[in-house]
Amino acid sequence: MLDTVSAGSAQNAAQLGWTGVVRFLHFTPRAFLPMRAAEQINLVAGRGIEGDRYMIGNEEGFYSHKPEEGRQVTLFELETLVALKRDAGIELRPEEHRRNVTVEGVPLNHLVGRRFWLGETLLEATRLSVPCRHVEEITGKAIFDPLINRSGLNCKILQGGVVKVGDIVRNAA
Amino acid sequence: MKARPITTVRTVVADVEEAGDRIKLFTLVDPDRWELPPFRPGAHIDLHLPNGLVRTYSLCNEPADNTRYVIAVKREAEGRGGSRALHDDVRLGDVIGVSLPRGGLEAGADIGRHVFVAGGIGVTPFLSMARHLLRTGGVDFVLHLIVRDEVPLAAHLAPLIDAGRVVVHRTSRGGRPDLASLLGEAGARTLVACCGPESMIADFERVTASWPAGNVHVERFVAPPPIIDPNAKPFTLSLARTGTEIQVRAGQTMLAALQEGGVDIATSCCGGICGACKVGWIEGKPVHRDRILSPYERERYLMVCVAGSDADRLVLDL
Repeated sequence: MLDTVSAGSAQNAAQLGWTGVVRFLHFTPRAFLPMRAAEQINLVAGRGIEGDRYMIGNEEGFYSHKPEEGRQVTLFELETLVALKRDAGIELRPEEHRRNVTVEGVPLNHLVGRRFWLGETLLEATRLSVPCRHVEEITGKAIFDPLINRSGLNCKILQGGVVKVGDIVRNAA
Repeated sequence: MKARPITTVRTVVADVEEAGDRIKLFTLVDPDRWELPPFRPGAHIDLHLPNGLVRTYSLCNEPADNTRYVIAVKREAEGRGGSRALHDDVRLGDVIGVSLPRGGLEAGADIGRHVFVAGGIGVTPFLSMARHLLRTGGVDFVLHLIVRDEVPLAAHLAPLIDAGRVVVHRTSRGGRPDLASLLGEAGARTLVACCGPESMIADFERVTASWPAGNVHVERFVAPPPIIDPNAKPFTLSLARTGTEIQVRAGQTMLAALQEGGVDIATSCCGGICGACKVGWIEGKPVHRDRILSPYERERYLMVCVAGSDADRLVLDL
């Protein structure tokens, strides 16, 4: 019955809309290595982020043995970091969640199957990220349970380009 | 596509220094000089050596020095082969996989004084701690280094000896010093730590038995003991398709036991929510700890990353 959001509601959502902003950008060339902050990153359509471990052709990530189109770029909500501190007393820094783009004001969980603009790039969300023990192992912080259902979003890149901190995120409905 | 998951941090040997007394210092870096995973002062890493051996060594450098892992290795001709492999076979530019760092000193806000006791090459983690404490300042420390005669890593320790931070005790001249008098009285703001041969660690633990546990640190080169459910019991996995039997130790995950047994299992979250490691079960009493299978699915499937067994034997559709 609820396979799709009704046309009316979808239209309302598009009209009411939301507009978010890119707060942090991170990438790393290999599994386990710390994520490095960047003021801008280059997204390559159909492949990933230049220099990142999950860019198709690099295959240097912890999960690269399991190829996935939607791992080209991953997003995370700044609001989740605030909630972790507030609800679980865990201080998780933006470089520790190991997703590439930390956004504010973007309802990531609502975007699965939808297209949206990240600065000048166009993304399509393929699935919600799930928490994993790997990140717990790296950070030494017990974040698996608190991140269930709010662990970010996996996306493929339909239109590449440069994404900068401060760029606007908006629906492409 | 890689067939196997990446399980180690890839490093390259960037420097090998002869440090005297059959000791070599190896500097490991990322191939692109990227920052390495962070570590606490005096932490240690496992090296996955080219000959298949896995050996653990303390880091000598300090955490702020975050693009290198520096280890000191004494060649033990009669050892188990790790130090010989490193001394004899490892060259500049060789690639070595290492684990994430473990152990080391927790930052203790209330600690005002550290007393370290090291035996011989056991001085290595304290080099890291000393460098860290000197850089960050504000905390007093002294390292009692107990050696037979020769001081290991003498060139690296000389400035610390000159500054009175390291006191050398030569057992060839004065016998083994009394640990109790070196450590002094237990104090809430004093932290004592030891690294050395097992006999020295045993003495140290005896002397500090009455100290508050949080003020005593022993640096051992083994992973911290896993927290095992006191009710956990070992059981046998029987793999129906291959006819193989695999023992699961008390507290061990089925996944770890299967992987040890060479069974290739797809995994992802390792916490019972992603569904990657779903396996059919045929006979037994599985204990489901996942958070995604329905009661109906649980009659046929389990998640090997978190499931256990309430019976001695569990038959899997593998």
